[in-house]
Amino acid sequence: MNSFGTLFVKELVEAWRDKKLVWLPVVMCILAILQPISLYYMPQIMNKAGNLPPGTEIKIPVPTGEEVLAGTLSQFGVLGIAIVVLSVMGSIAAERNSGVLSLIMVRRVSPLQYIGSKWAAQAVMLLASFAASYLLACYYTALLFNQVAWTRILASLGIYSLWILFAMTITLGAGTLLRKSGGIAGISLAFIAALSLCSSLFPRFMKWSPSNAQSQAAKLLTEGAGSASLPVMLVSAAVLIAVIFFAAVACFKRYETYS
Amino acid sequence: MLLEVEQLTKSYKNHTVVNGLTLGIEPNHCVALLGPNGAGKTTTLQMLAGLLKPTSGRIAFMDQLMEQHSIGYLPQYPSFFRWMTAREFLQFAGRLSRMPRSELADKSEEMLHFVGLKDAAGKRIGGFSGGMKQRLGLAQALLHDPKLLILDEPVSALDPSGRLDVLEMMKELKRSRTIVYSTHVLHDAEQVCDDIVMMKEGRALWSGPLDALKESHQDETFILSTSESLEGWIGTRDYVASFSLLSPSNAEIRLAHSDDRNRLLAECIDSGMTIKRFEEKSPSLEDVYREVIGA
Repeated sequence: MNSFGTLFVKELVEAWRDKKLVWLPVVMCILAILQPISLYYMPQIMNKAGNLPPGTEIKIPVPTGEEVLAGTLSQFGVLGIAIVVLSVMGSIAAERNSGVLSLIMVRRVSPLQYIGSKWAAQAVMLLASFAASYLLACYYTALLFNQVAWTRILASLGIYSLWILFAMTITLGAGTLLRKSGGIAGISLAFIAALSLCSSLFPRFMKWSPSNAQSQAAKLLTEGAGSASLPVMLVSAAVLIAVIFFAAVACFKRYETYS
Repeated sequence: MLLEVEQLTKSYKNHTVVNGLTLGIEPNHCVALLGPNGAGKTTTLQMLAGLLKPTSGRIAFMDQLMEQHSIGYLPQYPSFFRWMTAREFLQFAGRLSRMPRSELADKSEEMLHFVGLKDAAGKRIGGFSGGMKQRLGLAQALLHDPKLLILDEPVSALDPSGRLDVLEMMKELKRSRTIVYSTHVLHDAEQVCDDIVMMKEGRALWSGPLDALKESHQDETFILSTSESLEGWIGTRDYVASFSLLSPSNAEIRLAHSDDRNRLLAECIDSGMTIKRFEEKSPSLEDVYREVIGA
């Protein structure tokens, strides 16, 4: 096995021993099924806890399964991305601060192999957790509302995965710049929030922004097709992920010292 | 020469840590870097290990292959993954060094045995003491049979018995490898190393074989002890540059020239004295260190 493979396996074993492989999918699943369940019980909840005068009749239109799933994704847009950032932020900084990085790099591991193994291992874990939780949400939606077409589920899953990868790559990149995980999380979340904000403030000029993956995925679910700017967004997200990744590798190469 | 260092310099924004260091390291020699704290020892070792880029200067390995895989490095405070066991870490390190799988299993057991961690091989590193981490650090540095071992303060963090163990290991290792290590325990350096590099403020003040270092600081001092009293008699010899009486019949004498030693002995015998001891006093490494560093 080459160094990339060794480091990749080490990341997965580490996540298993840290129980990250347990809490990450569990937290994501809870987050995902919250939407269909709470929407389903909304009338009862309003009735019991709404403090409405007796006799008030509430009529909430029953959402379609597609709308419920779109709602699930928008839940992910806030909390899910925070989980992504928090789970990735320390992966480089911790090894750097403890000094174990110097024992790795003295064995002539290239920065590309090191960052690449981190990226790949985190991507596998995050995307697998996300896919599992999303499919669970689809299952509940099918039980409580109606079955959503598989093509729409898979297409929205794919597009949204790109946004998760983007957030993860940003965090990994910030991880090569800073040594404190608080700062890494702060910078990453600020950048992601700024991008989302700009996209909603200047939709005309921000068609390329990867943050549009959220609205594109929702549109795909409810309408069956994304808007016209979807290809532009897909290409720019892929390019940005690659650019940030190689910038992180370049930044890592410029380290004066690994401890 | 196994490796040559030329005008090696490392400077940060406002200070220079290593300043124009030039060294040559012979194969199968054990070289000790000595010097006060802040002399640039760790920085030099990190540059030799390829972990730190020099600001200027050159580190040339005579054998290009050697540069790739044949360095074993032990940092001053080795740190590992807390969740791994000692055995797992060695396997991980060995794979990163591209050791063949078949060889790796045997080799890591052998190393665990060598450093005395056989019983702790299956335990999590998170529960290791400082001494055990130091031993594991040595094991991972030796794992891939490097030609050059770079050890940063290998004994400073150890208890007396651990220190003895590691020194014994180093004595055994230096038969087939080049070892470069830093220390500020002079006694340990004297026991193990062949060559000495004394550093201060990023410069090498002295470098060369330990014997030559001591010889160059040999200053014609002798110890003479006799049955009779030396008081009075010794002061009348005009070739004695200075002397001090340790007891009436025991004197430490510094001579003006080395030829005078026989003259002193001859006159002792002529005066009918019984010589109990006559010996050239060789300086300890500590004496030389003080003189060179100026501490």
